[in-house]
Amino acid sequence: MEIYLPIAEQSMNVFVLLGLGAAAGLLAGMFGVGGGFLATPLLIFVGIPPAVAVASQANQVVANSISSLQVQWRRGNVDLRMGLVLLLGGMLGSTAGVSLFTYLKEIGQIDFVIAVLYVVLLSTIGALMLFESLRTYLRRRRNPEAPRGKLHTHYLVHRLPLKLRFYKSKLYISALLPIGLGFAIGVLSAILGVGGGFVLVPAMIYLLGMPTGVVIGTSNFQILFVAANVTFLQAATNGTVDVVLALLLILGGVVGAPIGSRVAAKLPGVVLRGLMALLILAVAAELLTELLRTPSSLYSLGTREVLQ
Amino acid sequence: MTGRRPIAVLVLAVACLLSAGMAPAQGPRVEPPAGGLRQLPSGQTDPSTPPSVPAEPSTPELIVDLSRARVSITSAFHGESLLLFGMFDPPGEVVVVVGGPPAREMVLRKQRVLGLWLNTGRQSFDDVPAYYAIAASQPLQRLLARGAGGEILSLEDRLSTIKPVGERDAARLAQFRAGLVEVKRREGLYPAAIGQVTVQAGRLFRVELPLPSRLPEGVYEIRTYLLREGKIVAAVSRPLPVGKVGFNAQLAGWADNEGPLYGLGAIVMALLVGWIGGAVMRRI
Repeated sequence: MEIYLPIAEQSMNVFVLLGLGAAAGLLAGMFGVGGGFLATPLLIFVGIPPAVAVASQANQVVANSISSLQVQWRRGNVDLRMGLVLLLGGMLGSTAGVSLFTYLKEIGQIDFVIAVLYVVLLSTIGALMLFESLRTYLRRRRNPEAPRGKLHTHYLVHRLPLKLRFYKSKLYISALLPIGLGFAIGVLSAILGVGGGFVLVPAMIYLLGMPTGVVIGTSNFQILFVAANVTFLQAATNGTVDVVLALLLILGGVVGAPIGSRVAAKLPGVVLRGLMALLILAVAAELLTELLRTPSSLYSLGTREVLQ
Repeated sequence: MTGRRPIAVLVLAVACLLSAGMAPAQGPRVEPPAGGLRQLPSGQTDPSTPPSVPAEPSTPELIVDLSRARVSITSAFHGESLLLFGMFDPPGEVVVVVGGPPAREMVLRKQRVLGLWLNTGRQSFDDVPAYYAIAASQPLQRLLARGAGGEILSLEDRLSTIKPVGERDAARLAQFRAGLVEVKRREGLYPAAIGQVTVQAGRLFRVELPLPSRLPEGVYEIRTYLLREGKIVAAVSRPLPVGKVGFNAQLAGWADNEGPLYGLGAIVMALLVGWIGGAVMRRI
């Protein structure tokens, strides 16, 4: 069944879009990250213009994060203070990111930048996660009783000015670090159409040293507002948010997410992280081949302006 | 359905004839082509003119209608085929040219840089038709051989008139022009084949015009020509508006004109569906 997408200006199979949303939701449920990093490249593969894919995906992230935040908030897993500091950076970053996006679109390089950023980001994170989960797995097999060592020493964090006390996270660190982190995630969110959870969650654990219990809820809190900001700015400046496309992705995700969390409950964490690492690496490899392979056509069309 | 169509066409054509006779302002515009009448061979009489009518030379009749007055892009739109049909005074051949609204298009070209393919070259052209299709009742080269070429343009001729922005290097422009055709072909906007106009009973004609799913909006122009011995003796121009309708039109209109409001609406929609959907699915 085909449906016409009014902003993408083309028709698409409804079930393909619902399926993509469900796949993203499945990931969200399994790994606690948005799944946007998978959905956006796939939308581009099926022929949605990158500008529309990124902006509409940001809209989907809003729905995805409110859905998870509902649960996290009730369980008290949100460090509101940390969330607000992150959000300050996130708002600045996503606003800057949308301007950068608009500029790259005008000079015709947005597709390339999106692809390269995804390759760099996904291969780095995928490799790190795979390495980490393999090491944990092997260590546990060799010595199941060994206590987990300290993950990070926070020498830099403690020297920066503007220190703030984050009670819930049991941290006393400079506010500049979460602001900077929020800013970087905001830029990524605007250019790639992702919530950025797959970068933010590890960064909060390893870089800020936050306790894992509050990480997912707090990142969801920041992602919700950053994604809403990206949606608003993309709609206001570029007019590229396709609500019909977003709605189909959201509906798919609503069905996929609970299935994902049920699967996740049955698998051990190490296996789960290993699987996710492999998936991330596969998407990165696919994007890299797209960049390296001789394209079937050298030509494409940029913007079309009707002169009055 | 297919069996009844020719009859319906005939009835419509007759109705058009009658209405054109009574209220010419409402019928399709019949334009006397520039010099068309003067070019008629002197000895030829119009066979449709009854002997009682004074043998004053008049424009041969050419009546054209479309299966739809406009192309409506609804939620179910995934491209469609538009039927153009009509009637003409024999003898003659019919050529139909469909041109989409002209715009400035930017063509991008990829090049390998350090092993990666990225857009390095770009060239804009003005006056590029969004869509361009030709249909004819006979092979086009034969019809155009004798000088109607100035008015009826093949795709290649039409594209030779598009104006490059800036660049002067002819070889480079030719490459980008070819690239433009390649992309438009892929999207179905410049159909590669010349469409077939079928003629029935020597005077009724019809042709299916293929319109793809990625059809740009705007007012298209459909020009129908009647050719005799390679010369245009009658021409009819019909505008064809292509646009989104209903819900699609409203959404696209909001997105264009009320961007911030549309953005807020999109956020509220996502919050509601995400909240309710999440709550419902957790119960199941």
